[in-house]
Amino acid sequence: MNEHPVTLHVMDDLRRSRLTVFFRYLLFIPHGIWLELWGILVLVVTVLNWLVALVIGRPAAPFQRFIAAYLRYWTTVYAFLMLVANPFPGFTGEPGSYPVELEVPTTPEKQNRLKTFFRIFLAFPTLFVLYVVLIPAMLICYPLLSFAWWAAMITGRMPRGFRDLGANAIRYAAQVAAYALLVTGTYPCSSPYVGMEFGTPVVAAAPVVAETPAVAEEPTAPEAPEAPSEK
Amino acid sequence: MTKSSRRLLGLLIFGALAGAWIWAASALWRTSVPDDLKLPHVDVGALVGASGLHRAQHFSLILDLFGLAGLLLPLVVLAFYAKWGHRFMRESAAGPIGTGMLLAMLGIAILWMAMLPSSIGQLWWLRRYGIVKTGYAEMVIGTWFALGAEFLGICLIILIVMGFARLLGKHWWLAGAPVFVAIALLVTFVSPYMSGLQPLKDHAALVQAEKRLAKKEGVAAVPLKVENVGGLTTAPNAEAMGLGPSRRIGLWSTILDGRFSEGELEVVVAHELAHHKHNDLWKGIGWYTLFVFPIAYLIARVTRRRGGMAVPLAVPLFLFAWVGLSTAILPIDNAFSRRLEAEADWTALEATNDPQAAKALFVSFVRATNENPNPPFWDPIFFGSHPTEAQRIGMVEAWQSRNGG
Repeated sequence: MNEHPVTLHVMDDLRRSRLTVFFRYLLFIPHGIWLELWGILVLVVTVLNWLVALVIGRPAAPFQRFIAAYLRYWTTVYAFLMLVANPFPGFTGEPGSYPVELEVPTTPEKQNRLKTFFRIFLAFPTLFVLYVVLIPAMLICYPLLSFAWWAAMITGRMPRGFRDLGANAIRYAAQVAAYALLVTGTYPCSSPYVGMEFGTPVVAAAPVVAETPAVAEEPTAPEAPEAPSEK
Repeated sequence: MTKSSRRLLGLLIFGALAGAWIWAASALWRTSVPDDLKLPHVDVGALVGASGLHRAQHFSLILDLFGLAGLLLPLVVLAFYAKWGHRFMRESAAGPIGTGMLLAMLGIAILWMAMLPSSIGQLWWLRRYGIVKTGYAEMVIGTWFALGAEFLGICLIILIVMGFARLLGKHWWLAGAPVFVAIALLVTFVSPYMSGLQPLKDHAALVQAEKRLAKKEGVAAVPLKVENVGGLTTAPNAEAMGLGPSRRIGLWSTILDGRFSEGELEVVVAHELAHHKHNDLWKGIGWYTLFVFPIAYLIARVTRRRGGMAVPLAVPLFLFAWVGLSTAILPIDNAFSRRLEAEADWTALEATNDPQAAKALFVSFVRATNENPNPPFWDPIFFGSHPTEAQRIGMVEAWQSRNGG
C-alpha cells in the first residue's frame, strides 16, 4: 500500500537553468519572506481550527482550504530551493501550477477528538524522523556548495537520485506539517514509497503554469513527464 | 466635450503642472550662498604639494574610468536584456507578477555578473592606494549576498508597478509614483536605525561644540553617532541622516582616528548640522518627487510597446528604461547635491568662524581620499555630489575676503 492523503506528485524533467541554480538562494528570498508571513497566519488559523475540530469533530472547511493552499505553496517553494524542480514558483499555492505538487485534502475529514486534543504531542516523534530525513537532503540538495548544486551548475541537469532524495524529504515534511496542522488525521509515513507519485499529475488536465501569460511568449519544449522511477 | 476642447484642457493641465514643477524646482534650487560669490582660483598644488597633487590626479583618473564603466556597462547589459530577457519567462511557473519579479531579479543578477570584473578592478585600484581594506573574496561574496537585498527591493518595485498596472492600466504611474515617494520617506526616516550607529564616546569636547554650533545655527542639537567603518576603508566621511525624531549625525570612525584636529572636526559637525538646519534631506525627497513622476510616466510610455507593465514581457525593458532615465538625470541630480553641499559649507563657515580649520580640513581630505581637487570638467557632471576640494577651499577664501580675513 503506497497511498496517503498527502501525496507528492513529481512531474519534473530534471532540466535545470544554470542561471537560476546559481542564484537559487537569492531567488528564494521573496518566497521565504512571503512564506514566513503566511506561516504566521497559518499558526493563528491552526489554533482556531484546533478549537473548531475539538468542538465539531472535524476542521472548518475554510481553514482547511487556507492551510492546504499554504502547504501546496510551501512544497513548491522548497522544491525550488532544494533544486527538486526548476521553475520559479508562484506565490499563491494554486493547484496544478508546479511540476512538483502536493496533493492535499481540501475537504475536512472527521478526526478523533482525543487525537486532535493531543495532536502536538503525537506529532513530536515525526519531528525527530523529519530531521533524520531532512538533514542529509539539505546537505545534498541545498544550493551553494552542495553536490546537487554543483551537478546542476555543471551539467544543467539534476541527478535523479539527488532529486528523489530531496523530493522525499519534502514529501515527509509536508505529511508532518499536514498532520500537525490538522489537515489530515493520517499519521506521516517515513517510507519513501508512501505518498509519492512520479510522473502523475494531481489533476490529469492540470496546466503547467497557473496563468496564461498575457502576451504570447516564445514556444518552448513542454516539460515531458519522466518515466516513473522505482517505487 | 469636443476633441479640440479636450486637447485644450489637456494642454492647460499640462501647462499648469509644468509651471508648478518649475516653481518647485527653482524653490529647491535656491540656497543661502550669496549669488554674487566669486570663487578665487586656488593653487591646490601649493597646499598639498606637487607630488600629492600628481598622486591624486593619477588616482582619480583611473577611478573615473572605472566609474564611467559603472555608468555605461549597465546600460549596455540592460539593453541586451531588454531585447532577450523575456526568454527567461520559461523558467517561471508563477503568475504575471511573480514572473515579472523573476525577470527583474535575473536582470539584476546578470548585471552583477557583468559588473564583477569592473568592480574587482576598482577594488584593486582602491586597495592599491590604501583607501579600501576589503579583500577580493570578501567583496565578491559580500556583493553576492547584498544582491539578496537588491532582489527584495526590485520585487517590491515590481509588485507596486505591476500591481497598479493590472488595476489601473497605463495610468499606473499616477499611483505608483506617490508610493515610491512614500518609500523614499520611510527609508530616509529609518536609515539611522539601520546603519549600526554607535554612541560617540571620548569626544566630550566635540559634543559640547556641537551644542554650541547648533545654537549658533539656530537648529536643535542632533545626536552625534559613530559608524564603525575602520575595517572597510580609511576614507573619512560624515553624514546627516534621518527626519524629525530620527535625525542623527553619523561620523565615520575614520574621521575620529586622530588625523583631524578638533577645529576640523567642528567644521565637519557644523557642515552636517547645516544639512539639518536647511532641511536638506526633505529637499532631497522633494527633488526626487519632482523626477519620479515624469520618470514613471516615461517608463509607462516606453513599456507600452511590450504590452505595458501589466505583463511580465515588459519587465526587461522597464529595467533598461529605469536605469537609462536615472543615468540621464544624474548630472542634474549631482548639480543639485553640489548646491546643497556648498550651502552647508557656507553655513559651517558662518557658524565656526574658523576658515583656517575649514581650509585645513579640505586639504586633509585631498590627502586622505586622494581625490583630484581639480578634476576635468566632466568628472563632477557624473560623479560630483560635492563641490571639488579646490572649490571648497576657494569658498573658504571667498568667505575670508568677505569677512575681512
